[in-house]
Amino acid sequence: MSDSTVHYRWKRPHFIETPYIRYGLLALAAIYLIFALSTLRVNPQRIVEGIPRAINMFRGAVPPDFESRGGLIVRGFIESIQMTLIATAAGVALSVPIAFMAARNIAILPIYAVGRMIVVVARSLHPVVLGVLFVSAVGFGAFAGILTLIMYTLGFVGKLLAEAIEEIKYGQVEGVRATGAGFFATLAYAVFPQVLPRLIGLSIYQLDINLRASAIVGLVGAGGIGATLNTAFGRYDYATASAILLVMIGIILVAEGISGRLRGLTK
Amino acid sequence: MSTHSTTSSNKAVGDHFRWARYSTKERVARSLGYLVVGVLLYWSLSTVDVFWPWVWDAPAQIGDMMFRMFPVSFVQLNPILFALVESINIAVLGTIVAVFMALPIAYLGAQTVTPSKLTLWLARFIIVATRSVDTLIWALVFVAIIGPGPVAGILAIAFRSIGFLSKLLAEAIEEIDWGPVEAMQAAGASRAHVITYAIVPQVVPSFWAITILRWDINIRESTVLGLVGAGGIGLIFQGAIDMFRWNTVSLVLIVIVLVVFAGELVTGVVRRKLM
Amino acid sequence: MLQITDLVKSYNNGEPVLKGLNLATDERRLTAIIGSSGAGKSTLLRCINRLVTADSGRIELDGINILELHGKRLQDTRRQIGMIFQAYNLVDRLTVMENVLSGRLGYVGTLRGVLRRFPQSDIDRAYALLKRVGLSQYVNTRCDSLSGGERQRVGVARALMQNPRILLADEPTASLDPKTSERIMELISRITDELDLPVLINLHNVPQARDYADRIVGLRYGVIVFDGGPQDLTDDWLEKIYAGHEDDLKKQMKVAGEDGANE
Ligand SMILES: Nc1ncnc2c1ncn2[C@@H]1O[C@H](COP(=O)(O)OP(=O)(O)O)[C@@H](O)[C@H]1O
Ligand SMILES: [Mg+2]
Repeated sequence: MSDSTVHYRWKRPHFIETPYIRYGLLALAAIYLIFALSTLRVNPQRIVEGIPRAINMFRGAVPPDFESRGGLIVRGFIESIQMTLIATAAGVALSVPIAFMAARNIAILPIYAVGRMIVVVARSLHPVVLGVLFVSAVGFGAFAGILTLIMYTLGFVGKLLAEAIEEIKYGQVEGVRATGAGFFATLAYAVFPQVLPRLIGLSIYQLDINLRASAIVGLVGAGGIGATLNTAFGRYDYATASAILLVMIGIILVAEGISGRLRGLTK
Repeated sequence: MSTHSTTSSNKAVGDHFRWARYSTKERVARSLGYLVVGVLLYWSLSTVDVFWPWVWDAPAQIGDMMFRMFPVSFVQLNPILFALVESINIAVLGTIVAVFMALPIAYLGAQTVTPSKLTLWLARFIIVATRSVDTLIWALVFVAIIGPGPVAGILAIAFRSIGFLSKLLAEAIEEIDWGPVEAMQAAGASRAHVITYAIVPQVVPSFWAITILRWDINIRESTVLGLVGAGGIGLIFQGAIDMFRWNTVSLVLIVIVLVVFAGELVTGVVRRKLM
Repeated sequence: MLQITDLVKSYNNGEPVLKGLNLATDERRLTAIIGSSGAGKSTLLRCINRLVTADSGRIELDGINILELHGKRLQDTRRQIGMIFQAYNLVDRLTVMENVLSGRLGYVGTLRGVLRRFPQSDIDRAYALLKRVGLSQYVNTRCDSLSGGERQRVGVARALMQNPRILLADEPTASLDPKTSERIMELISRITDELDLPVLINLHNVPQARDYADRIVGLRYGVIVFDGGPQDLTDDWLEKIYAGHEDDLKKQMKVAGEDGANE
């Protein structure tokens, strides 16, 4: 049934049809990659030297040593958990007014601009950057870590809650307003109940995220297990470091599981 | 939660209606929840190692620090921009390396396509191990092994991202429509053909979405690598802090916010294009 | 040509779904398999091309027992068995041409397949088949923009690309509206006639089975209870095949009735 004299040509159609643009983009990508790779100051000798170092590190890390600094490890993790709980509670409480400020359908423009700016800045700065700043301002320790995690929470919960507020249904707002309720009463009775489930879900999720972050802000002096880990690394005590990492992985997995369960329950 | 009205117990008591927002069971669960949260918070606040006089002093200290950040000094603009480009490069290269390593791991980690139990568990182990360790900790490890510099940063970003990408990609593979796979098998296609014809086309949209999401996160992560010597703008930030050059610190912060914001804009545009 | 002997298949060590089935087709004709839902029709077809593994028995294609094959030899046998699916099973994000060419994957090498470098003869054949099923204008269209009937035409073309010795079709019209369903049956019956190709087709629609089949096999709980020509399939037989599932039968007859009214 095939026509043997006529041959059809077929080539797979390209994702970008215009060859001009297709090859142009490819060339740009290639040029960028070459540039980016050329800026790396790769020192092959240093890497070769690194191999025995890595082996040494690994030897030091196995088996992990939970015992010799067990007390420090436990204290570090307890501090991380305390920082997480306090910062999540305070951060969520602060996120609510800021989210209302950062919701375009609620706030007037100047307030919206301020709210939005707080959220954007808090989100853009990595918790470790925030940690360095707070450590310089209020000194080493858990307090700097708590402030860091509060800011971190503001950026995340604040943004997503503001988005939830922007998506509320207006019927209920008008209903409450029609009863003669004032601005804040309307917020409390018509807007807040609509976003409450979302807020609870976000808070539980943030608890999980903050726990992860609490483990690393200590690397720059802001308290918690990160500080213990940093000390262990500084002393080349890789057996303790690997013990801390293993416990950390375990706690993070457990927290992730609990957080997922709780979020499922509140749905 | 959104079903208050249906679960509330509105019973007629004599001539009066008793109104309650939640059923008894819900109320008990709720109170228990509040109690647990309250106790945990009380315990944390009362035992945490915080020197409270400093806390009351904190607003003044923070205000003082912010005050010293202005006016912003542009003296160091050039080195800052160079370091910024390095940060972005680390994020891009790290993401690319991670993508290449994540592809096979995602395949082995997807329950529906993995060749055996052994490969499944191997992949799952790699996924858990890499994604539970933060980028900064990976950076500490790689700086200790290969010395300071952006290569350690790239490896740190890559290692943290492998687990993230593999996990989400494996989930995407598990969710594909199985029909085309069976059709290819029924036509006598080999495993490589099944992958390239039935699996890859179905996960391509998720692949791009996941990769871009991670790239966006990595831009942020790459700004702190310098704090442990793994290249990028973090080094300048640390230097300015150590020398109390607050007017330069503020410039670094502004530049970071701008670039992260720009990254979000780019991902937003690309995501919309892909959808 | 295809000889099935004492085929037994159970899922998860449960009650067998196929209970020692015997069936042979060697004439070039269209055999319809009917039976209520859950009778084991799909399982039978899927055992033949090894999408599921039978417990015991033999399935011989030209004397080779399919149940004993592995790896490359299994692939070689599978490519001789074309299959059309109820849900089409096309790759939505690939073009019509790529879907049709994927029917040749059992013949081309790994690299050629991956790179879409098919031999010229395959491309010619794909064009000819697309023309035959009436889709030549859609060669480079992505499958997700096609209608159900058009998709199933692609499915037919893909199965025929394999140049199969036998064609299997698992309720190929069940997802289509009555009119389109009729057209697809028409196409399958005509085209296999032109190609002299034996067909095993699961049908949920009894009137269609009567219209198009040369032979009808009635399956009931994994046992063949009827085997004969369409003229032999009396209402008594239908009641036996569908006993306990009369609703099922009524629905199927009714669909066909409405279909008739449409024309
Ligand atoms: N993959 C499977 N796993 C377990 N049981 C199955 C599976 N496929 C089919 N079955 C069972 O086998 C029986 C026959 O199914 P099937 O062959 O699909 O029948 P039909 O195609 O005639 O409707 C049904 O009881 C069905 O539940
Ligand atoms: Mg079926």
